[in-house]
Amino acid sequence: MSRLSILLVKEIRDIFFTKTGLLFLMLVSFITGYSFLTAVELYSEQSLSAVNNPLYARGFEPVPGVFVPTYGGLFVLFSLFLPFVIIPLLSLEKQNGTLAVLIQLPYSFKDILIAKISAAFFFLLMTILLTLPCFILWQLYGGHIPFNELFVLISGYLLYGLFVVSVSFFAAALFESTANASIFSILLIVLSWVIDFGKNMDVSTFLTSLSEWTVTRNLKYFEQGILSFTASMYFVLLCSFFFILAYILLRFDLRIKSKLKRLFATVVLFLLALFISFQSSLNTDMTESHRHLFSPAVTKALQEIPDLEIDVYMKKSDSRFRDYQNKFLNKLLLVLNDIKIRMMTGRELNKNYGLFIYRINGKQGKTYSNSEKEIFPIIFKLAGVSVGQDNGQQVFPGYPLVIKKEQLTIIQSVFYLVIPLTLISIFVFKNFKLIRRDNND
Amino acid sequence: MVFLKTLKINTPQGIKMLKISNISKRYLKTVALDKVSFEVSEGSIMGIIGPNGAGKSTLLDIISGFQNPDEGGIYYNDQPVSLFKEKKQLISYMPENLTIYPDYTVAAFIDFIQLATGYEDPELIKTLNLAKLKNRKIRHLSKGYHQRLKLFFALSNRKKIIVLDEPFNGFDPVQLIEILELIKEKNRQGRTFILSIHHLYDAEKICHYYTLIDEGRVVTTGSIETLRHKFGVEKASLEQIFIRALQ
Repeated sequence: MSRLSILLVKEIRDIFFTKTGLLFLMLVSFITGYSFLTAVELYSEQSLSAVNNPLYARGFEPVPGVFVPTYGGLFVLFSLFLPFVIIPLLSLEKQNGTLAVLIQLPYSFKDILIAKISAAFFFLLMTILLTLPCFILWQLYGGHIPFNELFVLISGYLLYGLFVVSVSFFAAALFESTANASIFSILLIVLSWVIDFGKNMDVSTFLTSLSEWTVTRNLKYFEQGILSFTASMYFVLLCSFFFILAYILLRFDLRIKSKLKRLFATVVLFLLALFISFQSSLNTDMTESHRHLFSPAVTKALQEIPDLEIDVYMKKSDSRFRDYQNKFLNKLLLVLNDIKIRMMTGRELNKNYGLFIYRINGKQGKTYSNSEKEIFPIIFKLAGVSVGQDNGQQVFPGYPLVIKKEQLTIIQSVFYLVIPLTLISIFVFKNFKLIRRDNND
Repeated sequence: MVFLKTLKINTPQGIKMLKISNISKRYLKTVALDKVSFEVSEGSIMGIIGPNGAGKSTLLDIISGFQNPDEGGIYYNDQPVSLFKEKKQLISYMPENLTIYPDYTVAAFIDFIQLATGYEDPELIKTLNLAKLKNRKIRHLSKGYHQRLKLFFALSNRKKIIVLDEPFNGFDPVQLIEILELIKEKNRQGRTFILSIHHLYDAEKICHYYTLIDEGRVVTTGSIETLRHKFGVEKASLEQIFIRALQ
């Protein structure tokens, strides 16, 4: 057993066999069970009218219909409760002075932090593992499992969990007390919600612009089944940023000036890397229904058009723009990565409010419509491209599923009884062994 | 007085291996240490004594690399030792405010230290009397046994210098004799000790040299004979010298 693995085993034990860890895992089980049950009930009720109607059935997709709402519970748990499990891993070492023990063993600050991050990652994997019965049950009910889309969804939540872990370690390294670190980390995590709320309430244009950079905005890609390079890089960079900050703060051997220099350099490098990664928009639609893509014929035609520029005379907070963005622009960006979009401001904006101007090869076309039916003829006319016929394409059938009420009790049994009892049994068994040995002393 | 006879101290006259030179440390406007300098001989036991708040723990933190001084430096065999990883190779430090993993059993902690360091000393576990409580959770140990576990950690290595901050806290008189003997034994094996002790009676039983610190400054340093001579109090106890020196 290598020395690093000895440390890793210690850290895994520190996170898994604590009461906080146990309570969190039980909470994951309860919340996942409840979210899954509610989602399945709704999906089943709505499926009643779709089973004999193929056109209506096309709208039934298990991931957005069942699994995204199920993982929604995990999102809240990660955001509000995970810091309480992760922070003590580091803050208790600081408070109790055992960091002095670890650092005097043949471990560096880097080793200690890596072991703790790895243990936290295993804990995250465990929480994801607790959601796996959902897929098994869904399949047992006769439901369809779209693996690629689910992989994207789970990856997104794993990345989000890792983000919470990184913020927690940063807070634990920054503050002396566990309580302060917990409050600070939750504040940082919830900040993303506040920005999104500000955007939705149209508080300021600054918040609206900032909302493009929030964690929740980037998690949306994964929830929608889009494998986004930018969003993935965003999470990787953000996690690395907070882990590096935690590492620098943890190093008591550095002088204040040296620490500040390193912190500053990290912030600059992070912002630079983030800016560079946001320049590309490499996204792939992983959904079975290809719901984020235009029809194959339109996609093929779009791929033939040269550089496209769009001038938007509308505020980002305008509901029509949001509609335009969700139903047209995001789909377009999945096909064409190099579109130049200019959000007009000032007098120009007020003068032509609501207008969209499309430019291709020096020619331009204008419209006030945000509907693809109006936009495509303009674009294809400017590009001199014609759209072919959609033929031979397999139509997504949809997967409505009606489940009897009695069948749903198994969800309650698994998530409210079997999993929690198993977790408690493991915990009690481990502690009982200790108590018995202690009494024998 | 068999007990006192066994505690007879022979002052080693080894070479000056560790030099603490002009160490200063400030916390905002508070001066914690002000140009602290003294030397530690190889194979000796140096006692850092002084009233509460004198700066003893800060000094030990700096010697062991857990804090950086604002000025001054530490020299080992006349070579500067400034990086933490250099100090870590040389010095084992037991801080005073160390609470070892409360939810671990004694055995789990011992195993972890032994596996991580690759150093096993069954004699040390036996002397510290830890084997009989191996399955007890650390949170259920008495203060004395928790202190033993801290000593186990500090001594479970091959480092040349052992720095202990208040190592005798929490021991009853019988336990104290065992611990004093243990430190003396390790010292006989060639380890150099720097101990921060505020019970002067305990310090007198074990230390070869003393450095008296008050308000962050070194008041005096030397063996008890040197101090007696310096303050003109022949046959006085350490406590009497201490009071005289502070006056």
